[in-house]
Amino acid sequence: MSKGHTHDHNGDDHGHEHPAAPMVEEITDYEILEIAVRELAIERGLFTAEDHRSFTEWAESLGPINGSRLVAKAWTDPAFKARVLADGVKACKEIGLDWTEPTGFGTPSDYTNFVVLEDTPKLHHVIVCTLCSCYPRPILGMSPEWYRTTNYRRRLVRWPREVLAEFGLILPPEVEVRIEDSNQKCRFMVLPIRPDGTKNWTEEQLAAIVTRDCMIGVALPRPGRTADVHPIHKARRPVESSHHGRAAE
Amino acid sequence: MSGTSDVDTSPITLLEAVRNQGKEWDVIAPRYGVTNPDPPWKTSLIGMNECLAVGGSLPALDRRRAEDELGKVVYSDVPAPERELLALVHTMLRRGLVTEAELAGRMRTVRSRLEAI
Amino acid sequence: MKASKPLKTSEAPARFKVGDRVRVKNMPNMFYTRTQNYVRGAIGTIAVCTYKDLIPEEEAFNYDGRIEQYYIIRFRQKDLWEEYPFDNDTLQTESPEHWLEPA
Repeated sequence: MSKGHTHDHNGDDHGHEHPAAPMVEEITDYEILEIAVRELAIERGLFTAEDHRSFTEWAESLGPINGSRLVAKAWTDPAFKARVLADGVKACKEIGLDWTEPTGFGTPSDYTNFVVLEDTPKLHHVIVCTLCSCYPRPILGMSPEWYRTTNYRRRLVRWPREVLAEFGLILPPEVEVRIEDSNQKCRFMVLPIRPDGTKNWTEEQLAAIVTRDCMIGVALPRPGRTADVHPIHKARRPVESSHHGRAAE
Repeated sequence: MSGTSDVDTSPITLLEAVRNQGKEWDVIAPRYGVTNPDPPWKTSLIGMNECLAVGGSLPALDRRRAEDELGKVVYSDVPAPERELLALVHTMLRRGLVTEAELAGRMRTVRSRLEAI
Repeated sequence: MKASKPLKTSEAPARFKVGDRVRVKNMPNMFYTRTQNYVRGAIGTIAVCTYKDLIPEEEAFNYDGRIEQYYIIRFRQKDLWEEYPFDNDTLQTESPEHWLEPA
């Protein structure tokens, strides 16, 4: 879910003063449960507090911004794009992203084999992990919930065009839809086609339209589209049921 | 998906009690006008998942298979991330990594500690 | 912190190269495997040679730290699913060498 909103700073820091964010004023059993099981696990020697802190800080640092920046840079710099396609991990280092963090060898879920899949007018990629929803977290942050559902994982490989249509993406039959099932150690991201209407855009403007859904392959970037929204199509004139209030048969 | 999960999906009393409180983030956050889409413990849960995988106590594939199964059978009406937390703890309990009794006791202690502040 | 350390590159050459036609074997699962049911027995083409790595521990009868080549294989969707209506669509997935045989 995209938390940020784009500011047009024109390179200056305007020093926004945000009001103090409201807090949830109660301690839920969920919060207590997480702390309790973690403390017991550390006491049992399943892991150390230090390792937990390291992975938690790493998790907190993640988001899709680096993915958007990588795509925008590839769109504007053909030599960089060639380097991205030749070696994804090395290209990420150029934009300040290190896949070997936080252990020096990556994480036990993300590894260090990052491959960028380039869309062309004849080829559209979409990514899934049918086994367990592996996702390129170092560059895209945490996966969206729908990506982790058995619904998406089972259906995308069997009925990819139907699933894409549910996201609002319909492709002509002559375009090759290529599903990438990331079942081993490679992690993937889509490099979408740069859309029309973006000539002379800055990298920052381009990055703003490269949303997470575009880098998974369930949406196409286009001018004006800066958030992944999955609208519920409510009826314009909902009919009130005449059976309202009667007991169900 | 290949293979079957071997997690015992029968409900666990302690976890049912947590779930029956109904304090999921998507319910309570709006009450306080909090717009953060994730509860504050979510990244800590992610950290814990990684640690359990690295140490070998609970490999990621095992954890996710159990989570799929539990999400279908026991916690189908619980939203993420609470479902993920409950599934993780459920799996750890069934594997004997922690016990229900010590977890219940620790939850009481943690709550007293946090509410004393 | 314990994590997967980088492996010494194996001297054994990769058996397959990009463009080779391969079939995914249908081996019995002793334990959990990362080879999906839907590709068992299917024929595809090697698209990429990715890396060399240990074979998954859960698949080794006698775990002896064997390193082998991994590949991305490309399949036609029509070869994976009955009555799949779109001729051009494909699917790619990754496999270690011991799950593959020449087709």
